[in-house]
Amino acid sequence: MHHANHYYGHSHVLARYCGLNDADPPRIAGYLQHGWNIGDGFAPDHEFVAGTPLFVWSERTRRRAWSLGRRQVYVVGAPWAYLLRMRPETGVSQREGTIWYPFHGWEGQHVVGDHGRLIEQIKQTEPGPVTVCLYWQEYRTKQVRRHYERAGFRVICHGYRGGWWKDLDPLFPYRQLAELRRHRRVASNRLCSAVFYGALAGCEPAVYGDPMILDGERSAFGGLEMIRRQWPELHGERIAVNIAREAAVDELGADRLLSPAELRMRFRWSDPRHRSGAVATELVAEGAR
Amino acid sequence: MRPRLIGGEMLLWSDLDGIRGPAPVGGTALPRLLSAVTGRTLVVGPHEPSLVDAIPTGDVTVLVRGLADAEALSARYAQRPGRSVWCGSLEKLAATPAYDTVVALDGFGRVFSAETVDLSWQDTLNLLLAVLRPQGRLLLGMENLAGLHRLVVLPREPGDGEWTTADEYDDTRPAGASQLRHRLERAGLDVIGHYAAFPAPGTPTALFGGDILTDPRVGGFLAATVGSAGSPAGPVLADAGRLASRVARHGLAAELAPGWVVVARRPSDGPAEPTPEAVVAGGAEVHEVHRDAAGRWIRRAVDTGEAETLPLGPTLEDRLLSASLRHDLPTLRGLLMSWQAGPAAGVPADRIVAGDGERWHALAPAQEPAAALRRFAATVIEGGLSYLWPAPADEIELTSLIAAMAGRQFDAAQLAATVPQATRPDVQAVRELTMTRDRLLRELAEARAEREWYEQALTARETALKRAHRLNAVLSATVPGRAAIGALRMVRGSGRFLRATVRRRDPGRQP
Repeated sequence: MHHANHYYGHSHVLARYCGLNDADPPRIAGYLQHGWNIGDGFAPDHEFVAGTPLFVWSERTRRRAWSLGRRQVYVVGAPWAYLLRMRPETGVSQREGTIWYPFHGWEGQHVVGDHGRLIEQIKQTEPGPVTVCLYWQEYRTKQVRRHYERAGFRVICHGYRGGWWKDLDPLFPYRQLAELRRHRRVASNRLCSAVFYGALAGCEPAVYGDPMILDGERSAFGGLEMIRRQWPELHGERIAVNIAREAAVDELGADRLLSPAELRMRFRWSDPRHRSGAVATELVAEGAR
Repeated sequence: MRPRLIGGEMLLWSDLDGIRGPAPVGGTALPRLLSAVTGRTLVVGPHEPSLVDAIPTGDVTVLVRGLADAEALSARYAQRPGRSVWCGSLEKLAATPAYDTVVALDGFGRVFSAETVDLSWQDTLNLLLAVLRPQGRLLLGMENLAGLHRLVVLPREPGDGEWTTADEYDDTRPAGASQLRHRLERAGLDVIGHYAAFPAPGTPTALFGGDILTDPRVGGFLAATVGSAGSPAGPVLADAGRLASRVARHGLAAELAPGWVVVARRPSDGPAEPTPEAVVAGGAEVHEVHRDAAGRWIRRAVDTGEAETLPLGPTLEDRLLSASLRHDLPTLRGLLMSWQAGPAAGVPADRIVAGDGERWHALAPAQEPAAALRRFAATVIEGGLSYLWPAPADEIELTSLIAAMAGRQFDAAQLAATVPQATRPDVQAVRELTMTRDRLLRELAEARAEREWYEQALTARETALKRAHRLNAVLSATVPGRAAIGALRMVRGSGRFLRATVRRRDPGRQP
């Protein structure tokens, strides 16, 4: 199983949805998309073994991947959408302020941009208290973290996404969901997974500010400009909530989630050995709420 | 009764036994047309005896070329007055208009014997018309030399009956369904029934008239009927049943039908008696289709007279495949669920007409739902569409997956043991075989690539494990290391104790 399938607790969420032991999710017979992008759904350095199915979030990604020569690409929807289905919002939540996700790079990439200018813009735009959520890399960079703290923002990190089967963090998405549901708005300087996650979790989204660029950023798929042209309605300080939600449903495949039985079949999780009950995360997740 | 020998008879020949050439024309749809035959009748060429039996009129002459056939028919009709059997070649027949009806459903290919010259198609027609009375009727069958069954046929050696095979280059032979009609009209006949015959010219089980073929609403019924009508026996280039459905879907059923059947008559003052728009035989049941006064298609059982409107819309299989090819998963799941939750769960998808907003209509009896699902899985694999599902093209696995999409769960082992294979083993089609070979080659290459990846992954994990073992060994040789290992064991022991306690307190909980 590819180690990226465990990123952000994704395989854990899906194992739980399938009624399996989410403390130690079984191997997924395929590659699972772990972040929103405008390529084939996978990281540029992802290595593909012929014949291994690609499980992507949305129909749009599937079509694009096919056009890029990928085969055996199947839409299963984003783990995030499964998490929301398992944990629907109950009652009227007390939402306040904005959770802001400054654009991050991946491991080994560094963002080039002016955090100071971005902070000013956030202050001018956001009406309520602001929580800034940093990627673990930036959170650990004191300089960057302090920058936001000094601005009076609450600075958090959802955790480490995990890598190479180590330091996996099954609670990552649960923490993110809890945070999103505390906030009225979700914002970022780029249209990204977090904005779609927030829109699906009931936040009013916004995309504005210096998008910053990655050191040596490649834009094989058209990059920022392509995203702006494709989704102009999802850029701005105020975005129509219904349009954003519709886009989130599309991009996260939330309208085409599989039943647990079907997902088990697709991932080859039908082996009864995996059925040891979803216990572990239940206990910890309750504590994380 | 002895057969009357008219000249040109073949003493050592039989067409009826089907050994040295195709079997005589038969099929379960034709008796319905013959049941309307009236007056003095001549049957020319080899016909399945049951067809001749279906002619209700009291005066029937059968002309065959093989003596063995003539004798067999004579014996059959020994006790039946009004039936006579002649043996010989068609051109020996006296050209006097003596018959009210001439039946030549086998076509013109087997009316001349090896003793005579073969005549062209037009000359043969003229011979038949010469014996037809002024208001007489002609029931004629003709093989379509560019029909589906011919397009999928593999080359073969000519048989004993093919001492000449010049039909293909007979320029008097009508090319296509509409030319056949025009040729008969030019010969002074009114065409009152014109049918495309499936699945084979010699054994039609479905006859479709021109109006019904051009009505797009009937497409599903048409595709279901011609698709299930069967495929020629033996090796072929492609599965003719699948092609027939496709041809029907694209409005080419009339032109690419394996054969045509025409009912024509000499001009007459009287009103033309109505001929059915279609005749469809499935199993023991024969249905005819006609239009009612309101223009609706009505399907009526020939035996019982039970009538209902013809189901309109596409087949469920077409809708499922269409949704699959569009990758419209919500629609696909919705259709599968409706199918498997409804009364037609056990009816194969290609035998259900599933019009949008219409009541779904089963054209076949229900079997086990698992068998119907398995058949759909086989259709997907045979159609080269298995790439739409993330399972190897294995009937059982795909059936289980489609069942899961339909909200059903089957145990794969049980499925394999209880539901027979749905892939039709009798269809040996080069296209399907090539497709299967290519797929297996690809799956083999993929399995090799996967194995290689597992090798690499295993090596990496083994290296990591060795490193951990070495570290362990080094640590356990030091005092703090031993202390840490001791502490770890204690923690593990208390963990086991805690779990055991929890289990004792809550025995209902899963381990």
